[in-house]
Amino acid sequence: MKTPEGPTRRALRMAALTAGVTGSYVGYLAQHAFLGADARQKKLKAAHTRAAQRMTSEFLTLRGPAMKLGQTLSLQAGVLPEEMLRELATLQMSAPGMHPTLARAQFKAAMGKTPEELFKSFGPEPFAAASLGQVHHAVTREGIRVAVKIQYPGIRDAVANDFRWFRTVSRGAQLTKHLPAIVLAELEEQILAETDYAREADSLEYFRKRLAPLEFVTVPRIYRRYSGDGVLTMELLHGMHLDQWLAQRPSQRLRDTLGTRLVELFYFQLLEVQAFHADPHWGNYLFGKDGSIGLVDFGCVKHLLPEFVATLRAVYLYPGDRTGARFQELLDQRYSLHGRKLNPAAQKALSRFAENFYRTVYPPELSRDDEPFDFADDKFLKTYMRESANLAKSRCALPEYLMIARAETGLYATLHRLRARVHMSRIVRQHLAE
Amino acid sequence: MPRAPATARPAARRPAPGRRDRNKQRTRDRIVAAALALFQSRGFEETTTRAIARRAKVAEGTVFNYFETKEDIALHFLELEVSHAIATVRSNRRLRRAPLEEKLFALLESQIDFLAPYERFIGAAFVQALKPASKLGWSRQAAELRTRYLAFVQELIEESLPRGKPSALAWFGPPAFWIYYLGVLLYWLHDTSAGKQQTLAFIDRSLKLGVAVLRKGVVK
Repeated sequence: MKTPEGPTRRALRMAALTAGVTGSYVGYLAQHAFLGADARQKKLKAAHTRAAQRMTSEFLTLRGPAMKLGQTLSLQAGVLPEEMLRELATLQMSAPGMHPTLARAQFKAAMGKTPEELFKSFGPEPFAAASLGQVHHAVTREGIRVAVKIQYPGIRDAVANDFRWFRTVSRGAQLTKHLPAIVLAELEEQILAETDYAREADSLEYFRKRLAPLEFVTVPRIYRRYSGDGVLTMELLHGMHLDQWLAQRPSQRLRDTLGTRLVELFYFQLLEVQAFHADPHWGNYLFGKDGSIGLVDFGCVKHLLPEFVATLRAVYLYPGDRTGARFQELLDQRYSLHGRKLNPAAQKALSRFAENFYRTVYPPELSRDDEPFDFADDKFLKTYMRESANLAKSRCALPEYLMIARAETGLYATLHRLRARVHMSRIVRQHLAE
Repeated sequence: MPRAPATARPAARRPAPGRRDRNKQRTRDRIVAAALALFQSRGFEETTTRAIARRAKVAEGTVFNYFETKEDIALHFLELEVSHAIATVRSNRRLRRAPLEEKLFALLESQIDFLAPYERFIGAAFVQALKPASKLGWSRQAAELRTRYLAFVQELIEESLPRGKPSALAWFGPPAFWIYYLGVLLYWLHDTSAGKQQTLAFIDRSLKLGVAVLRKGVVK
């Protein structure tokens, strides 16, 4: 047997999860007709919580892409019920970790020495966990306090197995092009890339340099001498995760500042750096009391072709009719980069998206640049998710969409939780001008 | 050069040995180190006692004063391995409060760590131990070593269970663990992943599963 938990077993667990989640609602439906409105609401909330607890527990056990899927779902604010989001949000920061003996053995397997041999001091218990690894405190021989990320052993094979299984069960969706094979390949490539710590070290150094103009952003320094295959040692950053940050009851002004900075960071990466941090889950951000942002995980990074970025620049804040011929032409140019032709359904879906969502959140008129968009109301998120679903149905996804959508969904979910007011068009316009 | 097995920590404190004993111990260590280096480089079958003596810089007769056969040398090495593993688990104070899965993981990991420099030899010894006439698998010393090892496993299991309650884990755990240990060894020998990471994942997940299954037996 090659892996301890084979694809069949994992597939069975996923099937059991689906059945279990369904079961959580069957009880509610059975009682639905006999309950008053209040009691019905209570029962429904309880069903959401049960379903989410079950999903969280299974995703934690399965790790790999299954857990990534859970993390993506937990960012679907405005679409999933609040109770479910609360449960799934636990996936953002906590995963069942390696016990200290396994973490030490894995460190030795990767580095050839135990942590005690390499560091002046090493914390055996992790202080942060992620889907693919966990993070420990340490002090180098030179006296520098660092964060040491250790990868769960054999995670790469688990990811490959999950995708093998997922390819099989999603064959129908692939044939109907609801899930294009290139999109699936992109997803696998990105999640596998997250297991490559050498690549992540390169990304950290790249972004540390490229994001230097944004003074409110910190990207940790990498210590290559203390890093290897499955171990990544970086500067220890300080800050709070979103929940902790919000628990400090920050003022509206501070929430607006942080929201504005997150949007600036997103568009600076997309339009200037032409590469972006594409794993938006909240465990990857550390927020300072002054609204500073620490980025701690560069496992999932997407680099864009300059030609693709040019097509984004061409449609962002497009002032004219977004159902008109000129706008369609710009979209056609984007698809031609992939040698694909945009079908009428996709054209309609993209135009609707641009009109119903982007025109509202990013009004193109210069005169409206002083109007901040208020993210407190979740109506915008519902529109975003509805239009995303329409786009998905039109079967026109490009590989780039997957990662941009992942990052964008995370950004909007965070802005909503911050209840921030942000001058969206002003920020985008500034980068279009540059 | 593979690490000399004499570095293994003793299981318990003993009175300091005299000069003669120290010299004898040194000669024994030299013979064992020479034999292990040859088992690893030439293979177990191909290694002769004459070659061991030559490498250890002792007369061939001296080798026989300490060990009757090369299988006895291999058994002695496995005794050191078990002592090292038990001492490693016992000397780690943090492990005393750790869950059973972690203690058993620590035991297996320290064994594998000890065996790692002699992987080729361990593969050969595994096959050798299956032969009906082999001292490695079927001798009194081999049985005593297995008993000592499993007694320690039993100790770890019992200290993790509530006192005074009958348990399937305590009764069934040690013999099941022996079969499991042999399986782990085979998995490790065939593991080609970098740093044998697949073995670590295998031990971690299978121990969690195994202990959970046997614990359920306790609850029922």
